[in-house]
Amino acid sequence: MKKRLYLELENCIGCRSCLAACTQCGGHEERNRNYVYDVNPLVNRQTMPLMCLHCENPACARSCPAQAIQIHETGAVLSALVEKCIGCQNCTIACPYGIPKFDQEQNIMYKCDLCIDRTKDGIPPMCASVCPSNTLQWLTDEEIENKKKQFNLDNGKWVTSMPYLEGETNVKVNLPGILQGITKLF
Amino acid sequence: MQRDKFFKEIDNINHPNEKLIKTHCSYCGMQCGINLRVNTQTNKIIGVEPRYDWPVTVGKMCPKGVTAYQQTNHKDRLLKPLIRDDASLKGTAEGFREASWEEAYDLIAKKFKELQTEYGKDSLSVFSGVSMTNEKCYLTGKFARVALGTRYIDYNGRFCMSSAAGGFLRSFGVDRGSTLPWTDIHDTDCLFIAGSNTAECHPTSMFRIWNVQERGGYIIVVDPRETPIARRADLHLDLQPGTDLALANGIVHQLIEMGYIDEEFINKHTNGFEETKELVKEFTPEYTSMLTGVAPEKIIRAAEIYGKAPNAVVMFARGVEQQHKGVDNVSAYTNMALVTGNIGRPKAGVATFTGQGNGQGGREHGQKSDLLPGYRKITNPKHVEEVCSVWGITPEEMPKPGVSAYEMIELMEQKTIRGLYLLCSNPAVSAPNQNYVRKAFKALDFMVCSDFYLSESAEFADVILPAVTWSEDEGTVTNIEGRIIKINKAQEPVGESKPDWQIQVELAERLGRGKYFTHLKTAKDVADEFRLATKGGYADYYGATWDKIDKQDGVFWPCKDEEDEGTPHMFLDKKFYHPDGKAKICALPYRPPAEEPCEKYPLRLTTGRVVYHYLSGNQTRRIPFLHDMCPEPFVEIHPETAATYNMEHEERVRLFTRRGEAVYKVKITEAIRKDTVFVPYHFGHEESINLLTIAALDPISRMPEFKACAAQLEKVELKKVQ
Ligand code: SF4
Ligand code: SF4
Ligand code: SF4
Repeated sequence: MKKRLYLELENCIGCRSCLAACTQCGGHEERNRNYVYDVNPLVNRQTMPLMCLHCENPACARSCPAQAIQIHETGAVLSALVEKCIGCQNCTIACPYGIPKFDQEQNIMYKCDLCIDRTKDGIPPMCASVCPSNTLQWLTDEEIENKKKQFNLDNGKWVTSMPYLEGETNVKVNLPGILQGITKLF
Repeated sequence: MQRDKFFKEIDNINHPNEKLIKTHCSYCGMQCGINLRVNTQTNKIIGVEPRYDWPVTVGKMCPKGVTAYQQTNHKDRLLKPLIRDDASLKGTAEGFREASWEEAYDLIAKKFKELQTEYGKDSLSVFSGVSMTNEKCYLTGKFARVALGTRYIDYNGRFCMSSAAGGFLRSFGVDRGSTLPWTDIHDTDCLFIAGSNTAECHPTSMFRIWNVQERGGYIIVVDPRETPIARRADLHLDLQPGTDLALANGIVHQLIEMGYIDEEFINKHTNGFEETKELVKEFTPEYTSMLTGVAPEKIIRAAEIYGKAPNAVVMFARGVEQQHKGVDNVSAYTNMALVTGNIGRPKAGVATFTGQGNGQGGREHGQKSDLLPGYRKITNPKHVEEVCSVWGITPEEMPKPGVSAYEMIELMEQKTIRGLYLLCSNPAVSAPNQNYVRKAFKALDFMVCSDFYLSESAEFADVILPAVTWSEDEGTVTNIEGRIIKINKAQEPVGESKPDWQIQVELAERLGRGKYFTHLKTAKDVADEFRLATKGGYADYYGATWDKIDKQDGVFWPCKDEEDEGTPHMFLDKKFYHPDGKAKICALPYRPPAEEPCEKYPLRLTTGRVVYHYLSGNQTRRIPFLHDMCPEPFVEIHPETAATYNMEHEERVRLFTRRGEAVYKVKITEAIRKDTVFVPYHFGHEESINLLTIAALDPISRMPEFKACAAQLEKVELKKVQ
């Protein structure tokens, strides 16, 4: 059963375990490929992860003159092939979310590959495995559909990636605000 | 067992030339399940892999857990015993030379004997910790009493869990940190969480906690800071540090006033209600608000939510416990559960967030100055007899009760205690009033420290013994829930390091007490003797064999025999552990913090943790990722307060109290009370906030008041000009 990375930004506690875990995925050379932002650090403790959304029509790959960024059959947008990447950094500019990182020393880009050596066999990515708050989850489409129903807001607005983000993505995002639609038990 | 909706069958990834060793994180009381990745050619630990099969944490880890494996083969590991001949260098990391175990043991035995001959048995002391297995904790207690024959043994739980222990003993007659398994928590309807920065200190509880809100339940958080959990709570009671007792009394009063009490439960199963009702009458919302700084409406609303909830859990942590009335705070919050009958059934109860990995088990088996294995009392002749029969000594040989951790340090300063064997703890960072503590350690005639890194405390030692990390030995620990779990060995000890139980056996032999220890050849031997020593005590581990732990995903104590599956839920029969079977609702008069703000020291200083570091930071400050995320301490200040001092974000300022001072970087945030400043405590030397904290001890738990004292801020440049 195909599973996807699903983000529930309301839950993030800023522990940055996802960053630590990303360094631990085999083949990541102990460098993390994800980000966590303090939304308003002088005011409160709100944080949120910024992850590659694995776009269905990814700007990074489209912008790459060397076709170094391949799309895996699972939909994962892979890190640049070392032998093809020419270090032009087009991808880092093209990505609307600023995901690809650049290694100045080796003159190549690197980015989230959705932990492809795990996810190709249905094993959750490292970040989604460890995330203590369930901000990052690894779910089936059916489970994501249930989330959508569960967090359906009264005003008829399902807060999702669709209206806000650029194009269709393999990763599904749920912006803060989900609890507004919950009916309290008492 | 206890597999819930969060549990998923997931295979682990198999890397070539690797095996996975199932174990648990080395750090906090959550004891998250982890797999250590071991290279099968080098037999070294090389990484971590989630343990999806662990029912409590289902693969989740905080950043400390993810990087915990990096401790074992770290470049800072102590590989050989170290001896320092020049005592004038005490308090620095200088002057140590490598030595053989033979030489180190000879020196220790000689010095210990000399001191005891000249100044008596009690001139030696043992200061230990609970970030180690039950087996080690047990043997440390036996080592102090049988090998050294001293009354002076105590442990770092006095700076951690002892108030929770004291409060539970008084309220329930038994001290099991959680009355229910963690797999119940997401299913309750109201979580009332006081003094716990859960998202940073017990992060892997958070997916369960958030789920309460997803189900339509409520989270109420009591904290002077708007921590990540307080930010999303339904209600945040932003009290002044050190005023919990008033708040708890105020809420209990409201519960009674608003008719949310369970009279049948109170009559049948508790004592003390009428007296408490009388006492809390005074704590009207207005009066409580005046004492705590929490708005009256919030107090009423908290009582309403908690009172209405079909099932509610009261939880708390160091915020309420590290006060000079910590025990009263614990009993006062526990009163909420007792007057509403929210106890003795699934999804309802009381829990403390255990700090150290084995904070629960380590306090039960005889490292505490007045306790013996199985939570027996050293002042109870029957208990002493039971333990003596296992140890093979006579009751006359059993030393008398000693004193608490901080009081031992006082006796060092007064030269009553002349020698110290320190293990598994770093009191030169974690004890309050550091200027005094460091002076006391310097005053020692002889000090031995066992650790796997050269800690700030080891800098005061004459001999340092290289211990192993948790991954180079095996044994059990008891997690936050009271579940006994198994730590497994993943690689051989690096260098010449040894497990502390082995060090104690070998030292006992040197001290001529071998006949009580020599039979303990493996960790399993210690485990078997340990289980026997707990048999019949109320923290009975006898039935918790390693096999059963493995089969059942852990065993909740008490577990009396082979058939007994253990006790996930406490008090299901509504029988409490006091002689009459009833719980005690406690009438507790309010006391303010020991040191209140004044003109000279107008701010309230409170201390705590960040997610990246564990305890004194001796381990986590050495891990690159964790160090990068939080390389130094800071002082959190509300922008309005900072403005009155004309201080800016990231500016370095001097923070001082009657006891000491330190310079910190300012962190401006609206997520703290205006009258309060906060500094994390994981840092040593001149960065240690415990240079400033107060050693006002709780009368019962002897817990220092880390959470509240009076302080003042000053601009650093200004001082230079003066
Ligand atoms: S691990 Fe989860 S909770 Fe922690 S920072 Fe990353 S997304 Fe947020
Ligand atoms: S999916 Fe893997 S590569 Fe991508 S951010 Fe998460 S851990 Fe890193
Ligand atoms: S420190 Fe605590 S919460 Fe973090 S991984 Fe270790 S046991 Fe889990």
